[in-house]
Amino acid sequence: MTDDTQLLAAGLRRRDPEVLDRLIEQYQQRLYRYLLFLTGNPALAEDLFQETWVRVLERGHQYNAKNKFESWLFTIARNLVIDVSRRKKIASLEDLGNPESEQSYDPPDERSVSALQMLVTRENEKTVQLSLLKIAPYYREVLLLRFHEELPLEEIATVLATPISTVKSRLYRGLEALKSALPGGAA
Amino acid sequence: MNDTPHTKALQLFSQSMVEGISPADQAWLDAHLRECIECAREVATMRELLSGLRSVPVAVPSDLAARTQLRLRLRAQQSIEVSSSNALLWIITAASWLLGIFSAPLVWRGFAWVGEWANLPKPVLEFCFVLWWAVPALIAVAAVLHQRATSSRA
Repeated sequence: MTDDTQLLAAGLRRRDPEVLDRLIEQYQQRLYRYLLFLTGNPALAEDLFQETWVRVLERGHQYNAKNKFESWLFTIARNLVIDVSRRKKIASLEDLGNPESEQSYDPPDERSVSALQMLVTRENEKTVQLSLLKIAPYYREVLLLRFHEELPLEEIATVLATPISTVKSRLYRGLEALKSALPGGAA
Repeated sequence: MNDTPHTKALQLFSQSMVEGISPADQAWLDAHLRECIECAREVATMRELLSGLRSVPVAVPSDLAARTQLRLRLRAQQSIEVSSSNALLWIITAASWLLGIFSAPLVWRGFAWVGEWANLPKPVLEFCFVLWWAVPALIAVAAVLHQRATSSRA
């Protein structure tokens, strides 16, 4: 437990606006990107972004300084995505909360892909990133957490509330799925 | 690609990306990739894929952070107001309960007098007395529920 995380936990407990402002600035890119790639919907990602920080404000006292803040943040965001997908019946994202459904997945329609395309700025990286949306959400999220956010396996397991062995197996299968999703089933 | 060394090489490469491999395995993999063009090509593709994954230049809406910060400040302000009005509510409820306890003998005498005057049966009087005693708690519960409904709509 570092002094920084202890200070952070204290700031969250007393709902310090300065601490929250700094955290929003610091994590805006990573959190928005995570939500955007999970949902494939910029408007929904914005709503969930704001809702995540509202929960951080309201549940700041629950943050345990023994854990990394980003793991806690991504856990909150992920739970919100699952809640929203259940409420709005977004079948593709309901799979996040239902690991039993790892067998089949229908990729999203072109509209959500093109909405994301507008936000991805570098042409040569679009192919890989859009392929992400074509793979099942439970693979997409582990790939995002491991290779975008560069979280260690232990932290991914915390965010997903699953054993490390499951995280590893989803990463291996996710990489295979991503290769197959590339144009022409590359590699 | 079904030969054991090639399969092993690709598995080791995936493993190195996901959880890491031992220096001995890494040395074996490097040696194999120097010799096998096909595996080297596949690994290069995978590396390119992962490098594409790592560098995701997503444009965050320019005012999203500012809007969120403003929303949080309003929410925090609202919470302070709610908690201070909650405190007031609890103080009033506690005071009314204390008043209820200490005035109970007097009130019961009043109820008995009204019952005698109106010729009401004792169970009715007892029910009215309990109701009178429970009124502050019922009002407090109604106020809390109203407050929660208002804050969840906000």
